[in-house]
Formats: sequence, structure tokens, C-alpha cells
Amino acid sequence: MYRYDAIDRAFVEDRAAQFKAQVARRLAGEISEDQFKPLRLMNGLYLQLHAYMLRISIPYGTLSTTQLRKLAWIARTYDKGYGHFTTRQNLQFHWIKLRDVPDILDHLASVEMHALQTSGNCIRNVTSDPRAGATAEEIEDPRVWSELIRQWAALHPEFSFLPRKFKIAVTASPHDRTAARLHDIGLLMRKGREGLGFEVIVGGGMGRTPYVGPTIREFLPAEHLMSYLEAILRIYNRHGRRDNIYKARIKILVAQLGAEEFARQVEAEWEAIDRPSLDLPQAEIERVRAGFAAPAFETLPGRSDAFEAAKAADYALARFARNNVHPHKQPGYAIVDISLKAPGETPGDATGDQMDAIADLADAYSFGEVRVTHEQNLVLAHVKLDDVAAVFAGLKAIGLASANINLVSDIIACPGLDYCALANARAIPIAQDIAVRFANAETAEKIGELKIKISGCINACGHHHVGHIGILGVDKKGEEFYQLSLGGSAAEDAEVGKILGPAVPADKVTDAVDQMIEVYLRERHAGERFIDTYRRVGLVPFKEAVYAEAH
Amino acid sequence: MKAIVANRLIDGEVVYWNHGAWKTRFGEAELFEADDAAEAAVAQANVPTQVVDCYLIDVAPEADGYAPTAFRERVKATGPQNHPQHGKQAEGGHDIELIKQAHGIARSAGRHNLIKLKK
Ligand code: SF4
Repeated sequence: MYRYDAIDRAFVEDRAAQFKAQVARRLAGEISEDQFKPLRLMNGLYLQLHAYMLRISIPYGTLSTTQLRKLAWIARTYDKGYGHFTTRQNLQFHWIKLRDVPDILDHLASVEMHALQTSGNCIRNVTSDPRAGATAEEIEDPRVWSELIRQWAALHPEFSFLPRKFKIAVTASPHDRTAARLHDIGLLMRKGREGLGFEVIVGGGMGRTPYVGPTIREFLPAEHLMSYLEAILRIYNRHGRRDNIYKARIKILVAQLGAEEFARQVEAEWEAIDRPSLDLPQAEIERVRAGFAAPAFETLPGRSDAFEAAKAADYALARFARNNVHPHKQPGYAIVDISLKAPGETPGDATGDQMDAIADLADAYSFGEVRVTHEQNLVLAHVKLDDVAAVFAGLKAIGLASANINLVSDIIACPGLDYCALANARAIPIAQDIAVRFANAETAEKIGELKIKISGCINACGHHHVGHIGILGVDKKGEEFYQLSLGGSAAEDAEVGKILGPAVPADKVTDAVDQMIEVYLRERHAGERFIDTYRRVGLVPFKEAVYAEAH
Repeated sequence: MKAIVANRLIDGEVVYWNHGAWKTRFGEAELFEADDAAEAAVAQANVPTQVVDCYLIDVAPEADGYAPTAFRERVKATGPQNHPQHGKQAEGGHDIELIKQAHGIARSAGRHNLIKLKK
């Protein structure tokens, strides 16, 4: 993976030292909370219900084992022994003390990490494919371009005070695992006659006004990526609605202008821009590309007799292989998903000890690298088929062998009202309740792919808009209620879900999910996933099932 | 009836005002009958080098004590449901039990008007 050079290192250390001085001034009363708040947000530090929360950037979701062990150590030393992986491929600590933050940032800097660009109105941590560099589907490793964007965006003076936050996703596979069409900019790598390039999508997003972003350019030659991004950001910086926080995201600008007019303005800006001074020299692209060179794979047969025998002997391993193990571009290797969704546990949480154990597994079996997915799971991207059984055993020992990837209990849930100062309702207990109801692995496999996503408020950190079943916590006269939606998708067929009907109280949510699943099982044709059946039969049968009692 | 809640600046701990001092448990909070006395106390309590996010909350009588009326404030006074060993609930005690019961009653009996979010 990419390693910091001297400039990266000095920059991150400087920023940590700068924040240390800012914290000291805040504690001494030299700056007010109003002055301090934007500074702490620039360093990923929020105030939540019970304590401060520090959101640490995991660029494009790739972690070295050294970094993961450092996070585990921070969890034990400065937090309550665990961390929470988020839908932005980041990690949050929920019990942080302000006085400890400068030291934590120093520790992070020592392993080439920071909490920059995880909050505030800047270009946020770039999302990328958790299977980057491992899947045969991709054109090239999208992290090369994610890293180039990271370097371009960090401390870019023109884009440090945007109208609102700004999120970019890069993927190079036809199967989108980044929710690219729901980002401010989604970049889908394409191979054209002229070489590598990107389809450029602008103006997607979730939150209060969800949009699936339109394509504004079918093919942008990759070498012009930086100048083109600069042109988009300039149009946004110029015309974004700084006067109204609810209308400040680029999606509103794109929707108001229309995709065509927005594209025209970007193209005009791009024509006028000094491209040679903005586009990256080929040597720099190659330098970063070298940082993502494939690890030293062994030459192996495509089939592992040991693995096949182990699966035949162990039904649980076979199930794990069906759901959590995916094809790799290198014969004899596999991509292994680690579910952080054991039924009854908090989605996305991992203890420090679990992080250490995963780091050990990654060192032993996956070239010392771990990935974070936007669905709040982890990935060992390069595991030999011969070693999958050993990885499974290692995961079982730490309670992380749930074979439920993409199944009903693999639920995204934001922290919700258990932690978040902005929440209307709790999300975690709802997720736990649903996952426990469907904890039976056979039932879950029979139901098949079903993406449930839960947010504790309209900010939609839990991606409820794009859940096959979306669940949004709302506050009805002070009590927690949940609005259900159906038919969303964050994948390449991105779609915003439709609201099912009136919100239901907390203790009815799992029943409602159960009823909708019953409808699906009743109506489905062979080979149809939940979302396919929904698309064929529409909302009505689901609605009738959930609200039958009320009629 | 009202109480004053804040987060302690240096570590974010949830604290309650009581006659010139910050206490860490809701059960130790000073309760104000009169709104103007409460407003005056907030002005005194909100010292920026000590606390952040300092505000008044509504408090209502329960079986044998008091609990915050807003569900959000009950979470703040006790801790997250998914980790019962984290937050103030870890220590247990009468005030915690009372708030937890209050929340059970309010939610399962559907007494919508009992729980109010701070606006
Ligand atoms: S969706 Fe709302 S409740 Fe959930 S983490 Fe985001 S802001 Fe908080």
C-alpha cells in the first residue's frame, strides 16, 4: 500500500502539533468554543452525547496491520476498548477526552494516520472499492486515483471552506461497492480507445434530499482528472448555496441547474483552466501507482484440494465460503469478508482485542493489509484458498465468523440516539433486534441477499435511503418512531427507496421487516433477490402486509 | 421542573449543576421549580473554560424521584443501550434505575407526551 513520503509525514505531524496548540488555547480560555469548534471539526473531533468522538480517517478503507494495531491500542488506552467502523470507511472512537486528543493524534501520525478530512466543509476521505487490487473485475486498482485525490485535496486552499462537505468515490469495477452514484462526485473507471478514463457522476447524495447522481461526462481521460475535479469544485465553490445549509450540497446545485447546464459550466471552466499546471505529471502518477503494486502472489492452482476437503467436512466453513469468500484475480487466492455483524452485537463495532487478532490473521494470511467496507465490515483481500479454513478458525475464536455478508443480519446502522447528538431515535437496538430475529443461518440464507440500512435521523449516515429495506428514526411527539422505505440500492443500479407508509413504533419494526420478508418469500420467482421481487411486484403487497392490522 | 446539563470541557463527561458545582450524576442535579431561577442559574453555570453545550432540561416526577422527560436526556443521564457497562449506568444506583424504568414505561405504554425532545 501507499507509504508516506517526507512531505506527507511532515504535513501530518505539523497538523497534529498545530491542533495541540489549539487545544491548549481552548483549555486556557484564550479561544471560545465558537472559535474552537471549526478547528476541532477539522481534526475529526465532535462532541456527542456522552463524550467527545474522534473520527479517524482510513483513506479509501485500506489499513496496514501496524495501523490496525495502533487503533486497537488507542481503543484500549484512551477509549473503552473498542472502535466503531463507519459507512465512510472510517473509524470512530466514542469515549474520547479532549485532553487526550493531542497525544492520540501524535500516535496516529506515527503510523501515517490522522483525523483530517473526516468532518467539516472540506473534501472528505475518498471512498473506494474494498476489493481493490484483488478482484478480477477491475480495470486497475482504484486506490491509485483515490490516493492522488487525497493528496490533491488535503489542505487545498481553494477547497478548504466549501459551502458544505464533499465526498468523492472511485471505483474501477462494474459492480459498484462504493455507492458512487450517491456521492458528490462518483468516478467510475472506464477503458476507452484513448486509454484509461472515468465516467464522471456529480450531484448524488443522501441526507434530507436524496439524489442518484447524473453522469456529466461519459469519458474523461484519466490524466486530466485533477484539472477536471478542480473545474467541478470551482463551479460548486462559486454557486453553491452558502446561505442555506439545507441547500448547500452540490446535489442541490446540480438538480437546480440541471445536469446538462451544470456539465456545460464545468466544461467551460475546464476549457479556461490552466490544465498543464493542474494535471499530474505522469511520473507522479507512476510513483503513486507503484505504491499499489500487487503483493508477491504465489503461483498456485485455481482449486485448493485442502479447502474443498475442509468445506466438505465442516458445514459451517462451507456456509462461510458461500457467503463471505469471493473470487480473486489471482488463481489460488480468495477475498475474505469479515462480518462485524454478529447477531446481537453492534454493527461495525470491533474491540481492540479483535482488531489485534485480525491484524495477526492479516499478517499471517493476507500480506499485512486489511480493508474497511462502507457496509461496516472488514476484508482480508488476498487469502490463499489453502488458508481460508485457518482464517475461519481464527475468526471463530474472536466471535467474528458470522457467515452473513449481504444477508438480512448484515445490517448497516449508524450510532443513532445511543451516541449521536443529532439523532431522533436509536438505530443500534433496532439492528440488534432484527439480526437476532433472523440469527438462524439457514433462514438467512434462504432469504438471500437483503440489505437493511438504518439511520437515526435524516442525515442518513446509515444509508437508509438506499437500503433494500430502509429504516429511518423519526421523532413523533418525543417518542421514537421508524419510517420504513423499500427498494433502495447503493449499487450500480442505484435507486432511492420509496416510503412504505406511516412510521411504526420501535417495537413493531422487526415485525414489519418479518412481514415484508414473508411477502417476498411468497411472491418471489426462482432466482429473484428481495430487491428483484420488489421491483417486479411493487410496493403494494408489502404495504398491505405491514399495515394489514390497521385496516 | 428543570435541571441544568452540560458536557465537561476537558473530557466531555455529562455533568449536572448543583448550587455552584458540577456533579456527574443526574440524581445530584439541582432542580428548579421556577423558570427564571433556572435561567439565572444557567447564566452562572455556563463558564466556557469548564463546560460546553450547557442548557436546561425538563424534569418530571416519577414513582419516587425525578427523571428527565426527554428520551435523549435519559440516554445522556444513563448511557448507550448497546453497552450497558458503559456510561453512568455502569455504576447503577437509584437515579439510574428510576430513569431506566421511566423510559420503559413511557415507551411501552405509548405515553407520547411524556417524552419531549429539547428544541
Ligand atoms: S444519521 Fe443522524 S443519528 Fe445517525 S449518525 Fe448520522 S447524524 Fe447521527
